[in-house]
Amino acid sequence: MTKSFKVAGLLAYTSIRKGNPGVILLTVLILALVSLNLLFIPGLLQGLVSGANTQLKNTYSGDIVVQSNTANPLLSDAPDLINKIDAINGVTAAAPRNSQGAEFIYGSEHTDAMVYGIAPETDADVFTIDKSIVEGSYLSPGDTDEIMLGIQLAGADKPDLELYARSLLTVHAGDEITVIYGNGVQKQYKVKGIFYTHFLQTDAEAFVSQTEMQSVYPATANSADSIYVKVKDEADINSIITQIGNIESGLRVLSWQDYAGIVKSLTDSFNVINVILNIVNLLIAGITVFIVTYIDVANRRRQIGVQRAIGITPWSITFSYLIRAIFYAITAIALAILLFLFVVSPLEAKYPFYFPFGAVYLVIGAPTIFRMTAIVLGISLVASFLPVRGMMRMKIMEAIWG
Amino acid sequence: MYEIDKLTKIYNMEKVRVIALDAVSFVIPDEAIVSIMGRSGSGKSTLLKQMGLLDNPTSGKITFNGKDVTWLPEGERAKLRLGYLGYVFQEYALLGELTSLQNVYLPGMMLNGAGDYKYRAQELLELVGLRQRIKHYPRELSGGEQQRVAIARALINNPGVLLADEPCANLDTTSSTMVMETLVRLNRELKVTVVFVSHDPADKKYADTIITLSDGKLTEAAKVSND
Repeated sequence: MTKSFKVAGLLAYTSIRKGNPGVILLTVLILALVSLNLLFIPGLLQGLVSGANTQLKNTYSGDIVVQSNTANPLLSDAPDLINKIDAINGVTAAAPRNSQGAEFIYGSEHTDAMVYGIAPETDADVFTIDKSIVEGSYLSPGDTDEIMLGIQLAGADKPDLELYARSLLTVHAGDEITVIYGNGVQKQYKVKGIFYTHFLQTDAEAFVSQTEMQSVYPATANSADSIYVKVKDEADINSIITQIGNIESGLRVLSWQDYAGIVKSLTDSFNVINVILNIVNLLIAGITVFIVTYIDVANRRRQIGVQRAIGITPWSITFSYLIRAIFYAITAIALAILLFLFVVSPLEAKYPFYFPFGAVYLVIGAPTIFRMTAIVLGISLVASFLPVRGMMRMKIMEAIWG
Repeated sequence: MYEIDKLTKIYNMEKVRVIALDAVSFVIPDEAIVSIMGRSGSGKSTLLKQMGLLDNPTSGKITFNGKDVTWLPEGERAKLRLGYLGYVFQEYALLGELTSLQNVYLPGMMLNGAGDYKYRAQELLELVGLRQRIKHYPRELSGGEQQRVAIARALINNPGVLLADEPCANLDTTSSTMVMETLVRLNRELKVTVVFVSHDPADKKYADTIITLSDGKLTEAAKVSND
């Protein structure tokens, strides 16, 4: 076997060294582009999913959502329940919210949106909306007659916003707007702040303090329609869900994935897209190596016949082609990784793609790189092996003399 | 010793049936230098390819060193070609990407991966008068030089038999003489049995045995004296 490897190594080395540099370069370039694509597409989709999940948890759902599972949609004695939740090991914070539908009016512009009554301090422990203020300031616990608007609701003279046409168009911090709640209460609010989280759904909402919400809906005093819970990164979320469910009966405790089912379908769809694109890429890689090897084998038919005639084993000749395929693949993969790490990734970080859930950054881990390397290598070996195997089945006489 | 017994090769090409070899029989003793002669199309090269185990006969038997090698599987034939038979092609058939030295030692590397095949290859190139050409690629050599490299390659594994298919067909007179004299010298110095195909009657003088074919049939198998 060692002899076969040595002979194969010599044949492969000399054919690469003395081979057509243009063909070698082109093959490596195509494989490098395919490899780069195999890093870029999963990186982008992974970044998309990861970015969406992070935004969702930071601005919309927290890690866990607790709601009532009884006929009464409100969780009564919310402060007591929050204290018990806070006491669970692994919980970082719990924040109550009450939501109501309302109509917003500014001048001649009308639109509908949800208004959340929040405890600004605890809410900021669960969500990061307080860090996304682009105009004015965040709410304070006792604020009344003041409201905080998402930018997709305010419009803020930004026609590029996705929901600008449905917004109040020109509302800025300090402006006064009218809000008509579902129970008929009409309030004049000064816009205290405008936030822009880049998560579309959150940016189309409005927030008032719990005190203000209680003045409109007295029933919400000491109650909450939802409690949002943030847990530590290393915490076992399922265990915490179980513990919260055991605090009292009549609670519906949901993980953020269950609460926002859209994310699961989004992730599943991206995974399917990823698989399809990867298959197309691998077909391109396989066909490229197959064609290059096939043409090479066809051009060297006589030479291969002579090699067999002088006693070089078919295995050695086949392995020499496999070594060349490994050389092409490894060179291309190394080139692709370098391009990805030092060109594509920094460029994308500087000029990220923006999706409805915010900026998306490429996310690539070592497993993805290893998987891509293994796949490109495997495909190259198979695609190289097939045409050589066909040639090895040909009779020596046919190979040399046709 | 080579023993060819009623060797027949028939090519069936669509509606035409060509009998390239018709029950040819002869014996080649060890250390002989044999010339297979005949006109173009007489079956000389076909016979040599059967002897070189590059092709299968239609019928008949080839015995090499007392062993019937006629229908050996390809793996066994490859081992015999590598270790016991040296084959020189009419068209040099060197590998263009390898230097003279690499061309010569490649079969040696295949047979003895860890042996002194490089040193042996240098010796052989020196023996065929190409010591100064070991780092040259085939395209940098003349036809005669390429053929001598091919002869050196055929000898790298110390084969008992060297088969040469019209080794001078593409060479000028001077190169032809040099190649033929090399074959004779190798026969005498290395005690290698040499079987060469030629259509040139002048090459008879290099052989001690002449085998003549005509239309696939053996017409003469005679020992000659060239003293």
